[in-house]
Amino acid sequence: MGSITRKKTLAVLALSAMIGLLLLPVVAAIPALASGGEAPAAGGPPPDAAKKDGAESEKKVEKARDVYYKTEGIVSGAPAPKTTDGPKDYPRYNFESRVLLWFANQQHLYYGSFVLAVPIFCMVIEFMGVVSKDKAMAKKYDQLAYDFIKISLTAYSLTAILGGILIFTFLTLYPAFFGYLSSIFRPVMHIYALTFVAESGTLYIYYYGWDKMKEGLLKWLHLSMSVILNVIGTVLMFLANSWIGFMMSPAGVDEQGRYLGNIWHVIHTALWNPLNLHRILGNMAFGGGVVAAYAAYRFLSAKNDEERAHYDWMGYIAMSLGVAFLIPLPFAGYWLMREVYAYRQQMGITLMGGLLAWLFIIQATMIGILFLSTNYYLWQALGRMRGGERFQRYIKYFVFILVCGFLVFITPHTMVMTPAELKAMGGQQHPVLGNYGVMSAKNGGINVIITTTVLSFIWYQRGNRMPAVSWAKFGNIFMGVFFFFAYVNIIWLAIYGYFIPANVRVGLSVPQVATTLSTLFFMTALNLSMLKGAKQIGPIEWGKISVRSQYALIMLATAFTWMMGLMGYIRSSVRLFWHVNEIMRDNSPWAYTHTVGFAANMISANVLFFWISIMFVFWLGTLGAKKAPVEVKSPVPGRAPEPAVGH
Amino acid sequence: MGKTIMYVVVSVVISVAYFTLVDHFLMDMQGLDYWYLFRK
Repeated sequence: MGSITRKKTLAVLALSAMIGLLLLPVVAAIPALASGGEAPAAGGPPPDAAKKDGAESEKKVEKARDVYYKTEGIVSGAPAPKTTDGPKDYPRYNFESRVLLWFANQQHLYYGSFVLAVPIFCMVIEFMGVVSKDKAMAKKYDQLAYDFIKISLTAYSLTAILGGILIFTFLTLYPAFFGYLSSIFRPVMHIYALTFVAESGTLYIYYYGWDKMKEGLLKWLHLSMSVILNVIGTVLMFLANSWIGFMMSPAGVDEQGRYLGNIWHVIHTALWNPLNLHRILGNMAFGGGVVAAYAAYRFLSAKNDEERAHYDWMGYIAMSLGVAFLIPLPFAGYWLMREVYAYRQQMGITLMGGLLAWLFIIQATMIGILFLSTNYYLWQALGRMRGGERFQRYIKYFVFILVCGFLVFITPHTMVMTPAELKAMGGQQHPVLGNYGVMSAKNGGINVIITTTVLSFIWYQRGNRMPAVSWAKFGNIFMGVFFFFAYVNIIWLAIYGYFIPANVRVGLSVPQVATTLSTLFFMTALNLSMLKGAKQIGPIEWGKISVRSQYALIMLATAFTWMMGLMGYIRSSVRLFWHVNEIMRDNSPWAYTHTVGFAANMISANVLFFWISIMFVFWLGTLGAKKAPVEVKSPVPGRAPEPAVGH
Repeated sequence: MGKTIMYVVVSVVISVAYFTLVDHFLMDMQGLDYWYLFRK
């Protein structure tokens, strides 16, 4: 009894410590924010200079206009440095500095995304375990959540090391730019550092406290820690996003780049919120993909059926979570692009219709691969449940629809051709295929792909179950008709776009997205309510899935990784020859846009390095795993037993 | 059979009405005219 009370007290103390850590950066920031977050830039006057007598400083107060918010503010920093190509501003090794920075940045981002996403999964799964009334399932969810956090813990150390390498790379190769950026963000730099400390502390307490806090109130406290952990992680990411937001769409400074004393303006740039949403969803999809690949790796190397069953289940859960965030990701990307266009139309044109447009064709191909892999996995997964075979004969139609959508989605508007090819084709656009290379058709293509993926998910949910509700017949007919008209509406809007002016056409993507989301939310909800008390045709035989399906999971994760590298490159490249768009020019010898081939090779090298290093992390994870005795389990309806792997 | 036809008709009416409303109102919210081509 005394021991339990002591544990509870310690748990409450730990939780309070975490909340304290969470609030620490805010408390520490109050003096800076209260004083307007003065940030003398690199080379600017020392703070003491401001402490002159009132009358004199009154005279020296200079006001300027914010480049974005158009408000007036007191100039509180030095202008952005005008760099010159030389060792002072751009010291270098005998190598392209930008490539080194690209590598350091990308690796840090990969690991950062992973360690931010996995604790969110962990929180969701642990919560499912806590609220589950089925004790066997609760235990399995708890084990799964533990498995997730175990992988992220090793990755967390690597993230921190890569963050250190990134800062040193900045300081060594781009000191003038980094000096300017850190001077602008000085009022919140220490918040970032403290948040990182808070994140580390919380993560370690959360992980090592798992066994000690596994029941009753203690378990709820443990779950609360995961909430705090994720709040800290999200704040951390938002702060990092504010830097790239500032680089793309600066605010809070005047046209010379002088800080105007309002740190919120600097953080809350035009692209900050779209970037935040896009990155959260992207990180979640990426994290789900990596964990699914881990599960696939463990499945393929499993020594017995029990292990295979456990990792098959883990792969399925991770994939489902990843895909749940993948589905809204294109819409978040669409919002980001819309905001980019709204901020600077030229920037949007460079991205989607100019210099970087071909990279978007590659991106479309990767998105198509992601959805094709997901569907392929789901169709393979139907094989592990009795009753799933009744859907097999329809898969060929799904393949047809998906391939049509995919081909339209990846069709480029114009082709890069030799003069002879240009003459033979009669222009830059193919007479037939050229019609598909416009946004109207592409939006139709991707929405058809996503709607089909939703349908695959619904069929997977029904794999081994038959609806038994009294209104099942109406439900089935309604679902079929709703999906049919959803496809009709998406394709109709895509065609309609060809007949109306561009300024009206641009709005059609919104009802198209709403149509797709309607199938996702309404039909999933309808399906779940129809499956209440459904007749079981047979159990899900976890582990009895084709090996090919696991390769599909690995493919999914690799495609996520590649696409993330690609999109990061596109987003960063759109600044062209600016460090900070229209404020600080990049005068290094590398202020040009790489060829598509070079960029693709660089992205592939980054992906390869990430996967080699994460395989090492996975391997480390297996070293600590001790096999716990397998308990006698009561059969769970619809689910085969999974083994418990010791903490 | 009669019931099936009724279910299909009801489903078609609901689906067509729903998607038309989605198209109309979501364009309207953006200050755009969904019926542009038909009014022209």
